[in-house]
Amino acid sequence: MSDRLLADWRQHALTLETEVNKVVVGQHNPVRLITIAIFARGHVLLEGDVGVGKTTLLRAFTRGIGGGYQRIEGTIDLMPNDLVYHTYLGEDGKPHVSAGPLLMSGENLSVFFFNEINRARPQVHSLLLRVMAERTLSAFNKEHTFPHMIVFADRNQVEKEETFEIPSAARDRFMMEIPIVVPNDDDIMSGLMFDTRFHNVDALIDTVKPDVLKFDELNAFSGVIQKSVEASKTLEKYALNLWKATRKPTDFGVKVTNVDMNRLVLAGASPRGMSMMLRAARVNAWLNERTAITPEDIHAVFHETVAHRLVFSPVYEMRRTEIAREMLSNIINAVAAP
Amino acid sequence: MTQLIKLYLLAIVLSVSIPAHALEYETLPDIKEGVVSIQLQEPERTVGYTVGDILTRHITLNIKKPYLLIDESLPIIGYERRYKGQLIGIDLSNIKHIKKEGDNSVEHDLTLSYQVFTNNVVAKNGALPAEYLRIINTKTKEIVRYRIPSWDFAISPLSIFGAVKVESDMTGYRGPLLLDNSDEKQRLKIFLSILGLSLLGLLYMLGKHTWLPKMGGPFAKTYRLIRKSPNTPQGLQDAVSSMHTSLNKTAGFSLFNGNLNQLFEQKPAFKQIESEINQFFGLSRQVFFEPNAKHTVGDTPIQWLAQFCRRCRDCERGLITDKQNVNKA
Repeated sequence: MSDRLLADWRQHALTLETEVNKVVVGQHNPVRLITIAIFARGHVLLEGDVGVGKTTLLRAFTRGIGGGYQRIEGTIDLMPNDLVYHTYLGEDGKPHVSAGPLLMSGENLSVFFFNEINRARPQVHSLLLRVMAERTLSAFNKEHTFPHMIVFADRNQVEKEETFEIPSAARDRFMMEIPIVVPNDDDIMSGLMFDTRFHNVDALIDTVKPDVLKFDELNAFSGVIQKSVEASKTLEKYALNLWKATRKPTDFGVKVTNVDMNRLVLAGASPRGMSMMLRAARVNAWLNERTAITPEDIHAVFHETVAHRLVFSPVYEMRRTEIAREMLSNIINAVAAP
Repeated sequence: MTQLIKLYLLAIVLSVSIPAHALEYETLPDIKEGVVSIQLQEPERTVGYTVGDILTRHITLNIKKPYLLIDESLPIIGYERRYKGQLIGIDLSNIKHIKKEGDNSVEHDLTLSYQVFTNNVVAKNGALPAEYLRIINTKTKEIVRYRIPSWDFAISPLSIFGAVKVESDMTGYRGPLLLDNSDEKQRLKIFLSILGLSLLGLLYMLGKHTWLPKMGGPFAKTYRLIRKSPNTPQGLQDAVSSMHTSLNKTAGFSLFNGNLNQLFEQKPAFKQIESEINQFFGLSRQVFFEPNAKHTVGDTPIQWLAQFCRRCRDCERGLITDKQNVNKA
């Protein structure tokens, strides 16, 4: 019965991917990673330039999994209460209170998109991180729960003025950081410019088959995946070595160009981070019809689940994206399995 | 009476025949120049001969027609040779005669071996004697003579009597005194052996701890190990693990199913066995990570591994080459 269940859900997941890939072209890897995050029930940081299709991507996923989709823009004057409610003077001249983006969909909230999260103040981060961790919020003398919510946040990496960098503790709450880049295929780029179906995003999103998954069943099914996909002793040892290598890369002979490796890493991956990596790897194994994790499953999610958790010396922070990518690639090259 | 007649006749024969033979050459005219050409190959040294030694000279005579060599005039084995009435003590001990008939001439290959029967307490002159041959003109029936020149050499004493000062006995007739060089020869052999061993050592080092380049690589060692692996689950695990180690060493990084292209870029020869490498990773997956997974290497994975390892070793040694690159070259 469990095998049948796993196979059916796998088919649904692949259908969802196909549907999303139809409207967001040239982003197969991010689509696969977001699918993994949805089934691993992890929050996601999106990294990418403006206008590359992040919102479209998330709206397409939301349509496919059902439930509510809410979005808020990070600004320097955004306050925590702006996420919970907003007040206004009604036609009757009296003040009114309406639910903010977090409460608007109630328990059915499935995707919450925080655009340019690093433009918001740390107070806002604090509230959001609590909601991400506990999926509950106290407001209006009531405890609100968001059991099906996954937070997607976007960081503006280009501009540094009037931004508040997310501290490492906050970054660690996100399961993945997924880069969204402009496809480099000329045909796809040309299609994005000239194909008129990409001009109207609302109409484009409507072409996605709705409710391919049932958002309120994802939590339960996620548990089934985690229980059914096994990890061998060899794999455990391999993952352990990877973890150690993120903490002390020099022990594994890992080098990065023009970097003093003895000074680079202040903190490697956290236990929570490695746990999330294994959750994601299990989902990847399931999507590839495997009953146990292989090193390739870990590789598929290694960069995206570990890179944003690494804490580097301040002198290297400006180059963290390239350094983290090279270091993690070299770790995979250096650590053997078995 | 009869006895007296017999003695008389014998005296006549003896008094006429031998002197007649000697006189015959002296009275015969020399052959005209240009009729006979001669090539001589004398013994290789002119000194150092003593009693009992045999000296051989090779003579090639080319006699133009109508002149013809009278075979009976060839020197006779054992005939005592004299010089100014004295026995020279050098006798012909063997003769070999080969005649080759040509259109305009006849070639005679003569091999004359002389044995020395004389000696002295000091070195003395000796000579292979000149030989006279009779040649007849078949048209005019005229008989003429041809002289094969003599060849001088020195006859050394068997031993030296009394105290001899070598410096004052530097006679050209005695052969050079040879020093004993057996020590030098032995030393030369030892040094040559050392040189040989050094070269072998150099070859070993240049071959990266192997006797020949490209030997003793990771797959060569693993192949020997896999051949000895027991057909047990643990044996299989060890064998697969060894193969992983060899592949990683060859690639220079940890090799997985997902980064095979990097290996093919660095070592194009391995592209030729891509399907087998994929089969190997399928087997590894089953052995180490997913026991329920199926592999395609058959029922005897150890044997398959040995075969696969051998193919990898061939790639390592350059026995399996990248066909594309070969074609480009």
